[in-house]
Amino acid sequence: MSHANQEVLIQVKDLRKHFKHVEVLKGIDIDIHKGEVVAVIGPSGSGKSTFLRCLNLLEQPTGGRIIFEGSDLTNKNTNINQLRQKMGMVFQSFNLFANMTVLKNLTIGPMKIKGMKQEEAEKLAMQLLGRVGLADRADAYPIQMSGGQQQRVAIARALAMQPDVMLFDEPTSALDPEMVREVLDVMKQLASEHMTMVVVTHEMGFAREVADRVVFIDEGVIQEEGAPEKFFSNPKNQRLKDFLSKVL
Amino acid sequence: MISAEKIVKIWESYSAFYWKGLTNTLWIAALAVVLGLVLGLLIASGRMMTVKKDENVIIAIIKSIVKFICIAYVEVLRATPLLVQVFVIYYGATTAGLKLPDATMTRMMWGLIAVALNSGAYLSEVIRSGIGAVPGGQMEAARCVGMNHWQAMRYVILPQAVRNILPALCNEFVTIIKETSVLSMVGISELMFQAQSVASTTYIFVEPYIIAAIMYFIIVFTLSKLISVFERRMSRSVTR
Repeated sequence: MSHANQEVLIQVKDLRKHFKHVEVLKGIDIDIHKGEVVAVIGPSGSGKSTFLRCLNLLEQPTGGRIIFEGSDLTNKNTNINQLRQKMGMVFQSFNLFANMTVLKNLTIGPMKIKGMKQEEAEKLAMQLLGRVGLADRADAYPIQMSGGQQQRVAIARALAMQPDVMLFDEPTSALDPEMVREVLDVMKQLASEHMTMVVVTHEMGFAREVADRVVFIDEGVIQEEGAPEKFFSNPKNQRLKDFLSKVL
Repeated sequence: MISAEKIVKIWESYSAFYWKGLTNTLWIAALAVVLGLVLGLLIASGRMMTVKKDENVIIAIIKSIVKFICIAYVEVLRATPLLVQVFVIYYGATTAGLKLPDATMTRMMWGLIAVALNSGAYLSEVIRSGIGAVPGGQMEAARCVGMNHWQAMRYVILPQAVRNILPALCNEFVTIIKETSVLSMVGISELMFQAQSVASTTYIFVEPYIIAAIMYFIIVFTLSKLISVFERRMSRSVTR
């Protein structure tokens, strides 16, 4: 999949973030194109999760700009709640609403935020649950499900808002090994449907196979990026070489 | 020696007296917890306010002052005895002329307010920790669906916090039932006061209080057991 001439969905310019005395992001520049799957890899503490969480302002950047569909997220007057509806987020720890059934987890956003009718929201929810293979668990509560199932519901919940981009923050890191596959399969299917995805991950196989572009972040900057074939077979950056030698 | 015979005799003559006292105790305790809950909610929200970096200076100052008052309130009320609070409020208010036409009603009102103010301080901490016990990821996930802060509180955080708070709230009611006994010191005719009256009428000074103790015990013990059954059932439930 090529994205060379496609429209830019998220433009990140000189993104910086520091917590108290630690500078986590030291100027990140990247354009994310429509329909592109970007895998973000890097050692722990490199700033890759912070980078992702800045994209929908879960973390407030301390410098730089993020332009999403023409709106500058870092501008104080931007309505972030409205823009977040267009950016689905999937967390490492699922974070399904514990007080709601699976179905309600999927319908609450469309109904309360978008004003969708219950009937319509439930129809959409059931269709999405079918897509992630969990239509039969609509009435279950999150606590009754396995991690892999919860994460698939979390993906469906994000999709229920019909977002333009999906952000994944290490979606398989909290899963038992035998459940990683089922979640990656859902993500793979999503990628094949040309959903724009930014995926912070430790799954090198997934990055190599599914991503259009792999980005290596370390020490708060993008050290190297490129198409997966070249990125993995012929890394230039010394840090990336060291990293890959440890994880591959 | 404690005499069972005396207990029976006193009960036979004065049971209506005790029942009246118990009724007063229960409704004062119930009202105090309800008022305390409202107050506790306000104080907890005051304490949980955060001043954002880019906030208007005046709003930031007001927020800080409100927050400070709420913290001071909780700390002062938790670090002084209820009896002292009841005296200060009751005598303070009546000395200032804040009275109802009826003296009994005046006592009841200020006694109730004193207990409610005290309960509010404790309940604000119960509420705060109940909300704090909801994992942070729940708020983040709600915000990521596009909810604003208040929608997230309403649909996601508070329903979960209520489950954390409810058992502690019931326990607060049980505690208050016992603590209202200090209101006898300002002449409110709750259970303890009634026992005192019986003692001073009959010149019997142990058995009247034994009866009060038995009544407190039956109520408090039963309620505590009910609460723990209820708590166990909640913790087994799947809808956390």
